Amino acid sequence: MKNRTYNIIFHTHTVSGIVISVVLYIIFFAGSFSFFRDEIVNWERNQSVEITDDIQLDFDKALNSLHQNYNLFGRDIELKKYYIEQRIAVSMSASKDSVTANKTEGSKFFYLETKNNTEHTYDDSYTLGEFLYRLHFLAQVYYPIGYYLSGFVAFFFLFAIITGVIIHWKKIISNFYVFRPLAKLKAMWTDAHTTLGLIGLPFQFVYAVTGAFFMIKLLLVAPSVLFLYGGNDAKLYEDLEYTHSQYQFKNNAISSNFSVNSFVASTKKLWNNFEVIEIHIFNYGDENMHVLVNGHLNYSSKFNGVGEAIFNVKNGEVVSKKSPITKTSYLDGVKNVLYRIHYGDYGGYPLKIISFILGLISCFVIISGVMIWLVARDKKNISEKKRRFNERIVRIYLAICLSMYPITALSFIAVKVIQPANSSFIYYFYFIGWLLLSLFFMLKKDLHFINKYTLLSGSIIGFFIPISNGIMTGNWFWEAFINQQYQILFVDLFWIVLASITLWVSFQLKQIHKK
Amino acid sequence: MPANPKYLSSNWQRFAKITAGFLGGYFVTISFHLAISFIFNHVNVIITSSFSGFIVWSALMILAFLAKNGWKIWVIYLLLTLLFSIIIYFGKIYNPIIS
Repeated sequence: MKNRTYNIIFHTHTVSGIVISVVLYIIFFAGSFSFFRDEIVNWERNQSVEITDDIQLDFDKALNSLHQNYNLFGRDIELKKYYIEQRIAVSMSASKDSVTANKTEGSKFFYLETKNNTEHTYDDSYTLGEFLYRLHFLAQVYYPIGYYLSGFVAFFFLFAIITGVIIHWKKIISNFYVFRPLAKLKAMWTDAHTTLGLIGLPFQFVYAVTGAFFMIKLLLVAPSVLFLYGGNDAKLYEDLEYTHSQYQFKNNAISSNFSVNSFVASTKKLWNNFEVIEIHIFNYGDENMHVLVNGHLNYSSKFNGVGEAIFNVKNGEVVSKKSPITKTSYLDGVKNVLYRIHYGDYGGYPLKIISFILGLISCFVIISGVMIWLVARDKKNISEKKRRFNERIVRIYLAICLSMYPITALSFIAVKVIQPANSSFIYYFYFIGWLLLSLFFMLKKDLHFINKYTLLSGSIIGFFIPISNGIMTGNWFWEAFINQQYQILFVDLFWIVLASITLWVSFQLKQIHKK
Repeated sequence: MPANPKYLSSNWQRFAKITAGFLGGYFVTISFHLAISFIFNHVNVIITSSFSGFIVWSALMILAFLAKNGWKIWVIYLLLTLLFSIIIYFGKIYNPIIS
């Protein structure tokens, strides 16, 4: 590579990396915990559910109970399982019946507890798991700024990944096994950055692309609407199969009895290993009522097996179906794969744990990149003032990033001790705690201190998480093990292991004195 | 090891390269994907663009930084956009997606 090319690419890599570093760290740190979002939520509620995407619910009983509260006649109702929790999402449209419309109110959204059919608002279903999940795409920042910010950070991360690979291209193989912890500080940071960066490369590339897709795909789709569809976005979403077909409301009550359970059962009979994740009911109780059953094959039998069946309730016939077994369309393949490879939810705990580790490795790659930036500029020929400025920047960066560990751990205890913990409590606790910790570590003016004591405090707090759970619920982790409540057990064990590792690391850290 | 500044551009050149990469690259990416929607199955192209778009766009950003002259790369990107726009124009006439 020409010197000129190398230097230009190097510079763009440095600048783009430094600009996105803090936000990207936050995204990766919170995102790593988000792999265990559902486990954390179940742990917080002290609930344990069967680990499956399939909705475990008596639909007829649930709909009857909803019918008593909301008069479902003429409404479209959607029951969807987004997460492996005991609660499923219910959204319903206003009734299309103009006579009863005024006494049945408009559209609704809430969560339904599948065990006892109680209703919960979004706010009283809020959890620390949800908070961390939403933090990883900056949803707490004023909408839609947070979404776009995280999307562009993902996009510039992609830019930084590609430039990073170009810089390192010639040395990819020769330097892979090079690690010089005892050499100069800068050599150590560079080795760590390049080796771990290369190990994490496929993972990070996938997350950069899919992350940008989730948050700023509008930038790519909007021109299609404008120039290909003449502004008709409904047609585009229909072509992309994001909308359901429509069935006309006849305003004539259905004469026969019907059972949604039976439609679910006959869908499962069509395809072996089919997991139902969504039920969409058109025109409830009307002559022209239809039931859509949507889901996918268990990932162990097929990765891209999305399927759907629509039944006409009156005569019980299948009016439309998409088989998950026959060849998957390219469209469905892309749509499914972009989600699956980002969520990492198709391979059970081993995949989630590997993804978590790779997520934290990415955090380390970010931090080591910032450290290279600092150390490379800590030279005699750079003015004292400039060097102090650089050091201060890095101190602020590290204080913000690294104090996420203790405050995240502390929040796990907080939501156990103070129950019910609603969204504003979690917001205040996490953000104010994070601010105070960051300020404290900034004022210490010592990078070694920040590194050591964020790890140490996080570890000590981490050990108290299973203890606080045991004290508050009486469900100690050995009892969770005996009762086979694996999600609860997982979070407790997860913290014991994580805290042990970070404790060990914090004891290994030694101050390197400047010569 | 900070990059040697003798290879880096300054002021207006830098401005031209950043804008050419970010905006010009975006125009080329979008017009390219729109143009090939008229040649291949447009639904497949649109769903493909949801990931390939970001990859092409970032590659074009890198290319813009490597250019000797930032304004020249702007001109190249605009010409490419124009070329793809002509394809879109004729595609809309002879092979419209919605009639």
